Amino acid sequence: MKKPSAMAVTVLVLLALVCLFYLFPVYWTLVTSFKFGNEIFTYPPVIFPLRIDLANFFQPSTTAHATNQTAIGSIPWLIDSTVVAISATLVSTFLIAAPAAYSLVRYIRNIWLGRLILFMTMIPEVVFIVPFFLIVAEVNLLNSWWGLALVYVSFAAPFATWLMMGFFNEVPKSVEEAAEIDGLTPYQIFYRISLRLVTPGLIAALILCFISCWNELLYALILTYSPYPTGAETVPLFITSFLITDKSFAWGGLAAAGIFTMLPTIIMGIFAQRYLARGLTLGAVKG
Amino acid sequence: MSEVVVENLTKKFGNNTVLDGIDLKIVAREYFVLLGPSGSGKTTLLRLIAGLEDITSGSIFIGGKKVNDLSPRERNIAMVFQNYALYPHYNVYDNIALPLRVRHMSPASVREKVREVAETLHIQDLLEKKPKQISGGQQQRVALARALVRDPSVFLLDEPLSNLDAKLRVEARAFLKRLQKELGITTIFVTHDQAEATTMATKIAVLNKGTITQVDDPYRLYTMPNDVFTAGFIGSPGMNLVRGTAKKIGTEWQFKNDDMVVDLGGVNLDGECQVVMGIRPEHVSLAKDGEGLDCTVSNIEPLGSITFVTVNVGKTSVVIQLSGKIDLEAGSPARLVFDKDSILLFGDPDGKRLRTGPDQV
Repeated sequence: MKKPSAMAVTVLVLLALVCLFYLFPVYWTLVTSFKFGNEIFTYPPVIFPLRIDLANFFQPSTTAHATNQTAIGSIPWLIDSTVVAISATLVSTFLIAAPAAYSLVRYIRNIWLGRLILFMTMIPEVVFIVPFFLIVAEVNLLNSWWGLALVYVSFAAPFATWLMMGFFNEVPKSVEEAAEIDGLTPYQIFYRISLRLVTPGLIAALILCFISCWNELLYALILTYSPYPTGAETVPLFITSFLITDKSFAWGGLAAAGIFTMLPTIIMGIFAQRYLARGLTLGAVKG
Repeated sequence: MSEVVVENLTKKFGNNTVLDGIDLKIVAREYFVLLGPSGSGKTTLLRLIAGLEDITSGSIFIGGKKVNDLSPRERNIAMVFQNYALYPHYNVYDNIALPLRVRHMSPASVREKVREVAETLHIQDLLEKKPKQISGGQQQRVALARALVRDPSVFLLDEPLSNLDAKLRVEARAFLKRLQKELGITTIFVTHDQAEATTMATKIAVLNKGTITQVDDPYRLYTMPNDVFTAGFIGSPGMNLVRGTAKKIGTEWQFKNDDMVVDLGGVNLDGECQVVMGIRPEHVSLAKDGEGLDCTVSNIEPLGSITFVTVNVGKTSVVIQLSGKIDLEAGSPARLVFDKDSILLFGDPDGKRLRTGPDQV
């Protein structure tokens, strides 16, 4: 076997350190969620627990004065998150991003308009908090799924549009021209040809939008104040409720709830990666 | 089955004039080739006829109907692209069926038409496959099938053979020519390959820098090129072109420059003038000692049945086509003669062919 070069070894070590830095909190959450009782507080901390305990998922913390939340109690928040994230994602990608990106790429072709959309995704949310609160309050949608979803569309749609523009740009012009000559109307070309060719991109946009809506905290904090069925508080707020308390933190329950929250986005992240990496034109056009 | 007429057509991209005052008449059922080097505007002309580009000025008529403002969809034309442009997400059957489906044809007749055209093109076994699963030659047939399935009035082909390998290309040429004859569809074919053009076309239009230099059948294009560009572009290698002066000596005319003096015989010129003499390699031959012009062999390209020999007469190089085995090597001296009846004269610097005899009109 060839001896790896010093450069390759250095790169590997650096990569391992970076991975450790980002993955350790995930590991900590996972391990903590399975620890029992006071094992969480031992010093030095237990990195590899020998016993797995699921109590954190189903029972309130045994620590005196801790909050009464349990991970399993997060279901109403999970329902809110699911409804809000899915509806905001569907509206952003299918109703707005796909047609908008297509017309920007094929018909408007103004590079600054495309960049403007990208810039919109870069403005910090906090700037819009007061205006959005006033707007949502005015239309009587505070603490509701649709109020929150509407606000989520404001950042998910430009992001998805920008992403889809890149994918539509990859669709060979001659395929669309062939369709035009074959007698398809511009609308038919969009949904029968181009949209089908960017399916991997569309799926990637769906997943990335879903993840960003699912993880969103700030707007949810301002625009909602109770969970399903009376309101629309989302899962990040449930997690925060473990921390925002006048009692001691229930670390076990917090970690268990964190695992619940993470799972859908991790699964989707794996899918998104597959579709983002996939070739678009599928080898149909030579040359 | 329509004729195509192009009148005074001009196309500009910004300030760049790509086509300048094109006039063309393509008779119904004709196999018409647009031939030119890259950048000559031939593909742009085809795209204008297809309706994929907007006309700057002038008109296009298909079947007697002005189509300037019609979209490609409304022109009833079919087109095969250089890269075939198949729909990668549909299988071969759906690729061919799509033009019929969007015209709301009944599923039963769609099936029948697709089967029929697939049999004509020998692709009936590929119908379930996706474009990426079949070879380049098969993809090309699918593209043809998709174009032919709806009986277009004009059939446009944009260098459809250039992505095929040499052997397939020769096969496809013959196949296309036969198919066109059988179907009798007016066909406009764009290529930069003059062998492709002359083997298939009933008529060829040669384009250079956005203008048409000549529209003729392949034989006349080869023997009677209208100008220096066409003379050099048609034929492989092109015509030998030598710059000099034509002078009358007694009753005979002579071509003269620093390197050579050539008898032209009884041509019909107004007076002494600057000319470009053109002669095909097959009309130049090697002569015995004492005859012809002194020259030195500079390059020998044997092609099997024929050999091209490049010789230098002073600073002028001339290509000669010889047959049989050649006992020459680079650097050896030789003597060459021109077949003076086959010499063409072009004006200099305008490059237009001069009327030099009764048959050369």
